[in-house]
Parts: sequence; C-alpha cells; structure tokens
Amino acid sequence: MRNAYVDQFPAEARVVKSAFWSSFLALAIGGIFGLVQALHRTDVLRFIDSTDYYTVLTAHGVLLAITFTIFFLVGIFTWAVTTSLDRGVVDIRFTWSWYVMMVTGTVLVAVAIFSGFLEEPPSILGSELYADVLFTFYSPLQAHPIFYIGLVLFVVGTWLAGFDWFRTWWAWRDENADERIPLPTFMVLTTTLFWYICTLGVALSILAFLLPWSLGIVDSVNPLLTRTLFWYFGHAVVYFWLMPTYVMWYIMLPKLSGGKLFSDPLARVVFVLFLLLSTPLGIHHQYLDPGIAEGYKFIAMTNTMFLLLPSLLTAFTVVASMEHGARQRGGEGYLGWLTALPWRDPVFTGMALAGLMFAAAGFSGMINAGMNINYLVHNTWWVVGHFHLTVGTAVALTFMAAAYWFIPQVTGKELWSRSVALGQVLLWFVGMTFMSNAMHRSGLFGMPRRTAEPQYQNFDFEPAVGTVAEMDAQVALGAVLLVVSLVLFLLNMVLTSFNGTSDSIPDNTYAGTLSGPEDAPEILDNLKLWTAIAVVLVIFAYTLPLASIVESGGLFGPGIDGRQLSLGADLEPALETLREVVA
Amino acid sequence: MNIHTYEKVWLAASMVLIVGFIATITYGAVGPGVSMISDDGGSIDPSEINDDERFEETGVTHVGGNEYEVAVLAQAWSYSPDEIEVPAGSEVTFYVTSPDVTHSFSVVGTNVNTMVVPGQVSEMTVEFDEPGEYGILCNEYCGEYHHTMEGTLSVVPEDEFDLTELSVEAPGEVESGNETTINATVSDGMQTDLETTATLEIGGEQYDEDVTIDGAGSESVEFAVDADQLGEGDHDWTVTVDGEEESGTLSVVDGANDDSGDSDGGDDDA
Ligand code: HEM
Ligand SMILES: [Cu+2]
Ligand SMILES: [Cu+2]
Repeated sequence: MRNAYVDQFPAEARVVKSAFWSSFLALAIGGIFGLVQALHRTDVLRFIDSTDYYTVLTAHGVLLAITFTIFFLVGIFTWAVTTSLDRGVVDIRFTWSWYVMMVTGTVLVAVAIFSGFLEEPPSILGSELYADVLFTFYSPLQAHPIFYIGLVLFVVGTWLAGFDWFRTWWAWRDENADERIPLPTFMVLTTTLFWYICTLGVALSILAFLLPWSLGIVDSVNPLLTRTLFWYFGHAVVYFWLMPTYVMWYIMLPKLSGGKLFSDPLARVVFVLFLLLSTPLGIHHQYLDPGIAEGYKFIAMTNTMFLLLPSLLTAFTVVASMEHGARQRGGEGYLGWLTALPWRDPVFTGMALAGLMFAAAGFSGMINAGMNINYLVHNTWWVVGHFHLTVGTAVALTFMAAAYWFIPQVTGKELWSRSVALGQVLLWFVGMTFMSNAMHRSGLFGMPRRTAEPQYQNFDFEPAVGTVAEMDAQVALGAVLLVVSLVLFLLNMVLTSFNGTSDSIPDNTYAGTLSGPEDAPEILDNLKLWTAIAVVLVIFAYTLPLASIVESGGLFGPGIDGRQLSLGADLEPALETLREVVA
Repeated sequence: MNIHTYEKVWLAASMVLIVGFIATITYGAVGPGVSMISDDGGSIDPSEINDDERFEETGVTHVGGNEYEVAVLAQAWSYSPDEIEVPAGSEVTFYVTSPDVTHSFSVVGTNVNTMVVPGQVSEMTVEFDEPGEYGILCNEYCGEYHHTMEGTLSVVPEDEFDLTELSVEAPGEVESGNETTINATVSDGMQTDLETTATLEIGGEQYDEDVTIDGAGSESVEFAVDADQLGEGDHDWTVTVDGEEESGTLSVVDGANDDSGDSDGGDDDA
C-alpha cells in the first residue's frame, strides 16, 4: 500500500502543498525580475526606465529573499514535525490561519511594491502607495504604511506557525514522556527559537518606529537605530533560510545517497550553535556604518567567525554521510566512491550541487566577514555574487530539488519528468557559475550593487583582470540560463499537478542515523537552557551599541522626515539643472 | 557523547581555522592599522548641518603639515563638492554626512568606503602616497536617480597642489585719459606661507606682480591700467595666479562725451 505523506497526513499535506505553491509563485515572478535586472544593469537590454529598476529590485529582493524562502520553509517544517513525531498538528484550522495570515501579509506588501509601476499610484489611508525602498527598507526612505503592515502580518504568521510546531511537539511529549526529541523536530524547534529572538528586532523597528512614522503619528526616526534593528534580524534571517536547507542535507541527502546520517549528536550540536550564535552578530553588516564604535564591530566579527563552526561541521557530516551511502551502494576507493552516488536522481544531484556551491560561498563569505577586507567589497557586486551562491543557490536549488521529492509526496502524483528535472538543476548550477563568478569579480574593482546604470560619466572601472564588458556578458548569459532553468522547474511542477495520482510514490521517510540520539547528551535537548544562553549573548552583543545609538541620535532621531525620493520619469532635464545648481 | 575520531580531527582543524581568521583580522587592525569607521565623527542634526563647524563650507582645508580635511555632503543625488583634489603624500581626513537619506561615499577600488547615514558623521583618515585619479560613487540605494550620484577624487603631485583662491574687482569702463586699477585678492588656503606671482593680461600686454601671503591669509594685488595706452574700445582681461583664473572686459570710452554712458563694456568679473 502506498504510504506517502498525503496518505499519512492528508490535511497537513494540503497546507504544505499550498505553502509550496505560494513559494513557487514568488520564485517565478522574482526570478523573471532577476533577469530584467541583469540585462538592464549590463546594458544588454533595457526596456524599463531606470527609475523603475528599483521597483523591480524591491520586488526581486522581497519576493525571493522573504516570500519564496519562508513559504517553502513553513512547508518543510510542517512536514518535518508531523513526519518525525508521527502525528498531525493539533488543530488544522490553526495551521490554515497562519498560512492565510502570511498570504495576506504578502499580498499587502506586493500591492505596495507593484504600485511603483503605475504612473499615478492610488491613495490609501491618506497617502499614495509607494514602496521603492528595497527589501532592507532603510529609513528615512519611507514606504506606504501597508508595506509595513504587510510585513508585520507576514512575520506574525510565521510566529504562529512556530507556535503550531511547538504545540504539536508538546502534544507529542505528553504521550512520549521519556523519549528524545526526534532530530527533524529538534531542528525545527531550535530554528523557531532563534527566529523568535531575531524577529523581535524588526518587529520593534516596524511597530515602534517605522509604522507610526509612516502613518504620521510620530514625525521623525533615528535612521541608524532602525537600520541596526533591521540587521539585528537581517543576519539571523539568512540562517532562517538556510536551516530548512540544512534539514534537507541532514535528513534527506544521506537517505538519497543510500545510507544514513553520520551522527545525530553532532547534528544537534550544530543546530544548538545556530540558536546561540545567529543573532548576536548582525553588526557585521554594519562594518562601514558611522556611529557604531569599532569594539562592537570587533565583537560581531569574532562571533561571525565562530559561526563558521556549525557550517564546517555540517560540511563534514554531509560529506561523511554521502560517502557512507556511496559505500553502501558498492562505491570504493579514496575518491572513487563519488561515482557510486545516484547522480541521475535530480533530488540528490540538485542538493549535492547546492552544497558544493555553498562551499564556494563559504570562501567569499569569509572575505565579507573579515572586517577590514570588507572595505573593499562592501556593497559591491561581490556581495550580490556571494548571496546568489548562498540563498540563491544553496537554498534555492536545494528547495527546487526537494520539490521534486515533496510535490509527489503531498499530491500523490508522479513527477512529470525526472530527466527534465535533472537538466534543470544542472542548468541552474551552470548559470549561477557564470553569473555569480562574474559578479564576484566585478565587485573586486568596485562595481556597486543596487544600481540601475553602473556606467558613470566621469570615470571608468579598471579591472585588474579581464574587462567590464566580458563580465557583463557573463552575468547576462548566466541570468538567461538561470531563467531557462527556472521555467523548466515551473513547467515540471505545473505538468506534475496535471498528472493523475499514482501508486508508485515512495514512502514518506527520512534518513536513519549511524550514531543515534542515545549518543547525544540529554542536555542537548534542553531548549530552555539554550534559549536562555542565546538571549544572554544577544544582550551582551546589543545592549551597549543600541544604548549608544539612542544616546547620540535620540530614540526618534533629530527631526528626520520620511522621504520618497522620486521625481517621475520625465524629470531628467529638471534633474540635470538641479545637479548643476548644487555642484 | 560519542564522537568519531575523524570528527574530532575536523573539529580541531575548524577551531584552528577560526582562531586563525580572528588573529589575522586582529593583526590587520593593530598591525597595519586598518581601522574601521566608528563613532568618532559624532552625530549631527541633518537639518542644521551648516551649524557644524566641519560643514560650514564643504571641500578641502589644510590643517597643517601634510594633513588635510575634506568635508563632503552626500545628498540625493550628488556630492558637494563633486570634484575633490588633494596632494600626494598627504594624510586626509574625510567628514561625510547626509541631509536626506542614507548614501555611501565610496572611492572606487580603494579602502575609502563608508556608509553615510543621516544624523551621523562618517569620519575616516586616509593616506594618499601616489598621484592618481579615482571615481567616487554612491553604492547605497538613495532614490530614483541613485545611479547618477558620482564624483571624482584627484591626487595630484605635491608641487602641483595649492589651495589658492582668487577674486578680482575691476571697473567695467574707464574714460580715456584716465587711469584705473584692477584689484586681485589672492588668498592662501594652506597653513604655510605662499610666494607666487599674479599676472594680468590686457591689451596684448602682460603684467606680473609677486606676492607673498601668510598661511591662511590673503593679500591684494593692484594692477594699474592706463586707458590711453589701451585705446578706445573693449579690452578683455585675465588675471591668473597658481592656475586660478578670472577674466572680464574693460571698455575705454571717450572722455569728452561721457554722458552717453552706455557702453557695452560693463562686464563684471565672472
Ligand atoms: C533567476 C535567477 C536570478 C537572477 C537572474 C538574479 C539576478 C539578480 C541581480 C542581477 C541582482 C543585482 C541587482 C543589483 O545589485 O542592482 C540580484 C539581487 C538580488 N537577488 Fe537575485 N537573481 C536570481 C535569483 C535569486 C534568488 C533565487 C534569490 C533568493 C532566493 C535572489 C535574491 C536576491 C537578493 C536578496 C538580491 C538583492 C536585492 C537588493 O539589493 O535589494 N536572487 N539578483
Ligand atoms: Cu550576515
Ligand atoms: Cu545612492
């Protein structure tokens, strides 16, 4: 008898499926916008006004970094909790309610952003819709209130989702008093805990400062304060995206390779480290900010370096587990076992390639983290190259590969084409190699990120190796390949959903472990303890910098108005004169 | 807890790597002294930037010796000043702030790179050893025309650098038979004394006047002009000093029927 997820938990499967589709929709729109950006910046093809570029970029950032990733995450986490506890959620209506809340939030945010394409955006709540503020929404750039309200709804939705997972675990614990927390649930819970800790920062930033300010209730903000609160959240959010990826690498990849997870205890250690260290280092995004003393930057740098540890341990465990799997399948030799891996399986290959790219990203990340080297690359295209390897590939490609396994699980329908899927993941890898590599190189000679026309009137870039034109060409080529890959992915998903249900869906299982939870000290499961330590670390890292920012700039800043710096598309001549007057 | 030997080795190697990184960066900070932007610049009220003595006037000032200060205003969507010139062999402290939104001040291909956050002053000190030309750009999104925000930084050979300023007062017309003067005020932005020559060119002739100006002071130079020598008509003149230049036109009119008054030579100094 078929024993897929949809058979075990039909009600939950519907929520998970909806979350996945929300995620795919964001990926589709965001990905196409990525191509528009790549072609526009490199001047290969410009069919939007440069002033609209920033609307596109805001949508790309929000839809991919927030919507795509987090919708997929809530799907995977709901699957992981229910599967590993072997019980459904406590109340499926509650589950739907957080999903609906997240969707509502996304729709509000999207309405605010997309109004940027209109000549005359409509007015709501007494002001024109506007959200050309990019996904970092640094004040005093000011978005329309519904942008902030949408974000809040979305985040509160994720909080409720976290509560749902906890509640399900509590219910399970009542029935299984003496058992260890199953590994997948452990991973979900630790991730949820640091998500609670870090989202307090944005929630505070939006609810206490940005939203009242955009509504005109208070008339000033302290830009450095809201910026610091953003990054208090902004680094941890990258680990939030990454954790479902790690869950896949820990509990799916070993199984796909034909073996078991090398070590359950080490996996727990890794997730505990993420809980402890994800938040107290956000200041590493502010190495070049004025108003923050060097000592605090140094502390953030040190914490960042220690946060390499769980990722290095993950690299070990994942590779060791794959090797174990390969040897089970008859692989031999020092490196020869690599050939025994199931490279024809798109789920495996996608995840393995994603892992490989993540290793490369580790190197560029260490450069970013080195605070004095950061001067050279900060806000250049190097950084964009870096995070297209991390979130844009390690995460996105793992998710797409995972979808090839999950969609059949939650629908009971067989994947439309495995060979197209295999081609798709390979194409993503190749496309990203071109795009990301050229972006990294461009950053080294100062090519800025977030810029519609990085072609300047009074100077030229001087690459040490190669030419600007050659790098631009690689970015454009890479972007085209990526979007072809994306289209193949979506096509496969859509056509799969037109398939009839099939009896040959594999069972819903995940990897066993070579060294199981019985080898892991009980204390690892003491979530209260780890949370308490995490909070203390955050207090250490943030109290003094925040206090000094508030002291020097005031809680609400020295009379800083909101700005929506747009002139409309026809004002280029006016702007020229303005610039001459100023100069 | 049961840890595999390989795991232990890997763990140890990882820790060595991490500690090594931290040590390298610490060395970078205390050894070659790559210091970070910090809170040294202090905070500022963005609506009253001019009240801050550093920003009363933007641009380059000489502090003394090889030390200079450059005050820059980054605003949507330009820098003031957008052309900066400093001498090679100098140590330059930049103060940058913004009256509107967050920008960056990034000298392309160098370590001079800072965020410019309204309410804060970014302060950084840089040594420029060699002459060179650099672009300046804003790498933080600051509104619709963010991509147009740029400037240049020239590091010029020391002997080509000065902070000399010139302003000229000259009459628009003079009656034939009379004499008049063209007054040049030369000021020296450097803290050191300046010996230089001011030159007037008029009517095909060139007149040189040597001046010596105290550091941070200014001197006037008077050029006497004899209308008869020029002859009736319009005469273009140019005063130059240290590469600074100002020009205008002097009309010599017939003294006999001066009541006509309206000659076209009334060009004021530029
Ligand atoms: C279809 C493939 C993609 C292409 C062609 C693409 C292209 C680009 C380009 C050219 C930029 C730089 C814009 C600039 O600096 O001016 C960019 C920025 C960015 N991309 Fe992508 N991208 C793709 C996929 C992704 C994915 C899958 C993610 C995340 C899951 C992602 C996340 C981001 C983020 C967060 C930014 C920065 C936005 C900002 O600076 O505000 N991208 N992308
Ligand atoms: Cu970070
Ligand atoms: Cu800008």
